[in-house]
Amino acid sequence: MRKLAEVLRDWEAVIGLEVHTELTTLETKMFCGCKLSHESEPNANVCPVCLGLPGALPVPNKEAIRSIVKAGLATGCAIQKRSMFYRKHYFYPDMAKNFQTTQGPVAFCMHGHLKLEVRGQGAAELPEDAPNDRFASTPTVAMNAHGGTGSLAFDEAAGKGELIRTEDGYEVPIRILRIHMEEDAAKMTHIGGAEGRIGGAAESLIDYNRCGTPLIELVTEPDLRTPEEARLFMEKLRRIFLAIGISDCSLESGSMRCDGNVSLRRRGATTLGTKTELKNLNSFKSLHDGLEYEICRQAEVLESGGTIAQETRHFEPARRRTVVMRVKETADDYRLFPDPDLAPFDLSDDFIEGCRAELPELPDAKRDRFVAELGVKRADAEALAGEPALAAFFEEAAGSAKKGAASVANVLLNVVLGQWNAEGESAASSSVTPAQVAGLADLVAEDAITSAQAREVASAMAKTGESPETIVDARGMRQVSDDDSLVPIVESVIARCADQARQYRDGNQKVIGFLVGQCMRESKGTGNPKRFNELLREKLDAAAF
Amino acid sequence: MALSEHDVRAIAEYARIGLDDEELHEMTAYMNDAVAMLKPIVDFDPEGVEPTFHPIGDLSDVMRDDAEKPGLSLESALENAHATEGRLFRVPCILGGGGLS
Repeated sequence: MRKLAEVLRDWEAVIGLEVHTELTTLETKMFCGCKLSHESEPNANVCPVCLGLPGALPVPNKEAIRSIVKAGLATGCAIQKRSMFYRKHYFYPDMAKNFQTTQGPVAFCMHGHLKLEVRGQGAAELPEDAPNDRFASTPTVAMNAHGGTGSLAFDEAAGKGELIRTEDGYEVPIRILRIHMEEDAAKMTHIGGAEGRIGGAAESLIDYNRCGTPLIELVTEPDLRTPEEARLFMEKLRRIFLAIGISDCSLESGSMRCDGNVSLRRRGATTLGTKTELKNLNSFKSLHDGLEYEICRQAEVLESGGTIAQETRHFEPARRRTVVMRVKETADDYRLFPDPDLAPFDLSDDFIEGCRAELPELPDAKRDRFVAELGVKRADAEALAGEPALAAFFEEAAGSAKKGAASVANVLLNVVLGQWNAEGESAASSSVTPAQVAGLADLVAEDAITSAQAREVASAMAKTGESPETIVDARGMRQVSDDDSLVPIVESVIARCADQARQYRDGNQKVIGFLVGQCMRESKGTGNPKRFNELLREKLDAAAF
Repeated sequence: MALSEHDVRAIAEYARIGLDDEELHEMTAYMNDAVAMLKPIVDFDPEGVEPTFHPIGDLSDVMRDDAEKPGLSLESALENAHATEGRLFRVPCILGGGGLS
């Protein structure tokens, strides 16, 4: 198979995503008062409504509706005041009532967009001569007049899908067709077959705890063109949903799931090719790699004169390939009709504005503020702003740091976070306080300790709860930076390592690392390596002339 | 327009109801009788009548608070199940089907 970069020189990949997000921060299910929990014993949280028993009447969860309205407002959608729930019929025991309650042609949220900022290596996936007006070649499925309120109207560039080249990549708006409200199905375990897959299973066991879990489904327009764009879109969406607090957004546990639709067409063509649907994209890497593989596979089929079948394919990350799950020969007939048990919605302005008033600062705005007001590096600011608890922790630490927020960001992301990840901790759960991290960042900023020492201090302060200053003093770690102490060491090392000193003077710059190491050793690890480096160069360069 | 046996067989398949030829014949006649009863409605001229979008159009925004309510005990939940295994419902293997796309 050819590589992605080669394939995308000849073909344009047209990608759309469907993203399901469980509203895990709610207490109860979508249409009944059963508890939402991933931890309960099987079938502990069931009632006549979610078991589909005759005569049971569903009532929508108000917080779920508020959550989807917030999701719509945060992604530039127009909130539809008038919408309804529909029944989508299918026969499968994961939904005992034989239909899923979902929405019809009008969803609570319609026609939003997110702006993607594609940078660095990932930006290279898109050919440099790719068209700058991508909406023109993928007319929207339904970009007709729509009512609703609260749309953050497209700015002019977004309206045309205009791609803007930046210094190290490009920016492009990606349209969201809709976000609708629905419910999840029960969890089934297939037994008697191989590997828990349905093929060959003799029986299936059903746990209805998950059945009726509030789920929002976001559908994009087919505006994405590279696997990297798809990955970035999903990451951005996750950051937004985390910020507004509607879900824990775990791809690993399946509370956020993504299917990818992808088709190819010759560069410059305006009609769409036959698409396949990709499943099991349950990490950002799988999303990228699954699409990459599928694009290359389709190109190979088409180039050898074959045709693409409209089918659902399962990505196997370990083998980096996709395999057919099922072929769609005819369109599914779900016999969608308005649910007579659920009253239609006519959301009031107060309801919508109440949701808007609860929206927190969104990740992009937070990132930009961290950069502009706190002087944090852009990449650091993005990483911090994307995780609400981490961002709050950072802001508190930055507030009490004396040597600037940039050092706090650096220490938090490069020292403390790694430690948390290794120990299964997080900003929300760790006993480490923002004040401790601020103190640690100050010590690093003033060169009192090295980065390596910072790790040791961070580990100690997590265990003891002591301030970093106390730990550094107690362990005699304070880094020595004054020349009066360092110069004698440098001179002694140069005298002792005459060979290496000569090599440096002969032009071998690399040997300086060895000499710094000797100085560190002689100072028993307390000397400032940066200053040692400077002093060594000064002395050696001076002696060279 | 009358329903053909072909139509009724398709409807029965959607509803997962197995019909033999005789039953299909009976059911087709029965369903055509039922459809015939709708004739006055089909013939009615809806000009000037306000459309009904939903059977409970007078109500809107019916919602409940996100508060837990006790559901069924495990015993009650599994009581009418055909087969169970531990705390789980047990069903025969499902072939050719599949959940939602």
